[in-house]
Amino acid sequence: MNKKAEILVVDDDPDIQDSLRIILESNEYEVRTAANGREAMEELEIRLPDLMILDIMMATDTEGFDLAFKLREKPEFKNLPIVILTAFLNKVREEGPGKFEYILGEQWPAHWLLEKPVDSKKLLAKIEGILGES
Amino acid sequence: MDATSMETRERCLAEDLSRRKRVILRELKERSFWFVRLRWWVPPSIVAGVLVARLMGFEFAVVQLLLVAAFVLAYNIVFYMLSRAFKEEPLREERRFYRFAYEQVALDYAAMFLLIHFTGGAASPLIFFFIFHIIFASILLPPRSAYGFSALVVAGMGTVALAEYLGWIPHHPLLFQGRSTDLAQQPLHMVVALGFFAASVFISAFSTTAIMRMLRRRIRDLGALSESVSILNERLHALFSMIEAIGSAQYLEQVLPVVTGELGNVMEVKGISVKLLSGDGRFLRYAAAYGLPEEFTGEKEVEVDKSPLNRRIIEGEPYVTGQVTKKELFQFGEALAAAQIRSVLFVPLTVEDRVIGILGAYCVRPDRFSTEDVDFFRMAAGLVAIALESARAYEAIEQLIEERSWYMMRVTHNLRAPLAAMLSMIELVRGGYLGELNDEQREYLRRLDRRSRTMLSMVNELMTLVESRSEKGKIVRGPVDPVMIGNRIRRTFEDEAKEKRVDFKVVVPEDLPPIHGDAGMIEQMLENLVSNAIKYTPAEGYVCVNFGRATQTVCIEVSDTGIGIPQADRSKIFDDFFRAENARIVEGHGTGLGLAIVREIVDKHGGRILVESEESLGTIVVVHLPITRQEAVDSSQIITQGRANQSGNEKEKPKAGHLARMSNPFRRVGRKGMFRSPDEGAAAGFVWGLPQGAFG
Repeated sequence: MNKKAEILVVDDDPDIQDSLRIILESNEYEVRTAANGREAMEELEIRLPDLMILDIMMATDTEGFDLAFKLREKPEFKNLPIVILTAFLNKVREEGPGKFEYILGEQWPAHWLLEKPVDSKKLLAKIEGILGES
Repeated sequence: MDATSMETRERCLAEDLSRRKRVILRELKERSFWFVRLRWWVPPSIVAGVLVARLMGFEFAVVQLLLVAAFVLAYNIVFYMLSRAFKEEPLREERRFYRFAYEQVALDYAAMFLLIHFTGGAASPLIFFFIFHIIFASILLPPRSAYGFSALVVAGMGTVALAEYLGWIPHHPLLFQGRSTDLAQQPLHMVVALGFFAASVFISAFSTTAIMRMLRRRIRDLGALSESVSILNERLHALFSMIEAIGSAQYLEQVLPVVTGELGNVMEVKGISVKLLSGDGRFLRYAAAYGLPEEFTGEKEVEVDKSPLNRRIIEGEPYVTGQVTKKELFQFGEALAAAQIRSVLFVPLTVEDRVIGILGAYCVRPDRFSTEDVDFFRMAAGLVAIALESARAYEAIEQLIEERSWYMMRVTHNLRAPLAAMLSMIELVRGGYLGELNDEQREYLRRLDRRSRTMLSMVNELMTLVESRSEKGKIVRGPVDPVMIGNRIRRTFEDEAKEKRVDFKVVVPEDLPPIHGDAGMIEQMLENLVSNAIKYTPAEGYVCVNFGRATQTVCIEVSDTGIGIPQADRSKIFDDFFRAENARIVEGHGTGLGLAIVREIVDKHGGRILVESEESLGTIVVVHLPITRQEAVDSSQIITQGRANQSGNEKEKPKAGHLARMSNPFRRVGRKGMFRSPDEGAAAGFVWGLPQGAFG
């Protein structure tokens, strides 16, 4: 378990950003944040994180999806683990499953799909699980 | 010529054969058969008569008489077989029936003459039996023929008398004790007797034909009466069916085909059309057309200004013609000419003095529509107008409900993000990430968390409920495996039940048929029920879910030893937001929506739900859901795009009055079903209907 792993948190809600940051940093992860798709791409280009936590619905309904798709198109990002958070599980399910299969590989039904509000213990356990495997 | 016009032709033919004739013929048929039956008595009577006469000492030509009896028997057998064949004949062949009647009468006369000849000829006492024959002939045959036969009888008798007198034919006298009762020795007496005979014959003929004429007239009138009664009855029935169709269906696509079809059938016309006036009153558009070719209707729009005929009708005057001209046809469309329409009838459709369209009838026969037809059609137009208005009203209401639902969904939708953020932050502080907490802080944060989670539950459940009651809550039906549902429920709740020290069991027998419904919804429904059961059952109690089979359904029983439902609240538990007092004590922060959602789902599936409960003892909730039938599997409905009629067994008939829960089987895209895996449920850490924080 690489405790110095770097996690990119992408969410347009500053409160969520802050909460996650505090939780992750006290578990010795390095945290960067981005508030929208564009910033996320910038961060990704600067340096690839070990894992990305992505809010699937940000300013617009499809922003998170679009970003995830874009990432999967590019070879350098294809294998980046993504944990998807959403406050709107129904809506997300309506859009999926096709989209999710594509985004998450064979992981649908997603072990990596979490609904807000997220139990921090479960989130940490998930992250450890994912990073432990890679 | 297509099938429908052939039918119309036949119907017209049948009508042309006037009703009266039909009735007369029917009567004739019956009488001829009756005479055949009557005639069976004759041979035995002859034989009996012969025996008696012999016993009494009369002497006469016995053998010949018996031969005549045999002859009568023989030809009656032939007639009997013929009548059997005739029974099936349609009433068209009147000539054959008349011939049958004549044949009977003729043969009867022949037999009669033979009998008379062999019992003394002109002096035979049997000559008076001719009276019967005359009577029968007058009943069976037209008056002229009856008189004709009477003349024949008199002439015949006269000839026989003369022939015997002159010795041209042998005389077979009737001898009694050696003496002949023969009047042949006294010609004058003979002539007088024959004269009276002739008189009685003609008088019988006259009386009977007069009576028959009266009878026939009565029968004809009755026939006409009964025909018009039955026509009226058919029309009433059609009106009633139309009313029924209007009452039980909401949408124009359902109502109009039924209504126009009924109308078309009862009026026996080729086609019925409904044209609707546009809002500004300038265009007429076809809304329905029964029996008319496709090209005729479709997207055709008629400009009212360009069509004086249509304009007149809209101004309130019905338009009838029995000989529609080319010019008129043109106003209604060229395709009409191709369909060989000759008579048309149009009446305006009015609602409260406002004309909303035109109802039309088209027939291939000329001069088809009488005043009664126009009157009836106007009544029908009244009904069609009502149907149209009520369909519009329904649409308007639905529109309103949709808007309301949309609004509510947007609101609840927007509440979720801030709530999620709030809960995350609360968790942050509670988790000690921002520093140690003292007991008081911990306690208040716990309460804060509870209240916020309740709020989130409320928002989620409201969303579910509103969505379920609106367009998006479309049920996707398919076979659902009870075993799978049972296993998922077990997995979802076993940990929680164990933590609370409640004994939790799910029992699913192996051989249950699949349920016909939506897996996601059924699971949701069970989750709500089980969650309630566990929530309201104190430690050391039990909760049991039993799947079973009833005659037409799968029944799922959720029973618990919980706090029960007070008698007074029994009828309200499924109401939105309702919470019973004793429930409030156990769990202060419930949403009161869980059971409303359950009811919604049960209703959607066409199932039943029954509740038995005793306060402080426990509760049993039994849900019956329909099973998948083979036919239902094939036409198992999926989402329809656009408005299409739903065929098959599952015609949901929403009743008037249940506007709040109008589930719409005829509109657009619905939810693609909830996919939930147990892992997902666990990972999300969220169970519908259960306020979090209650147990941890």
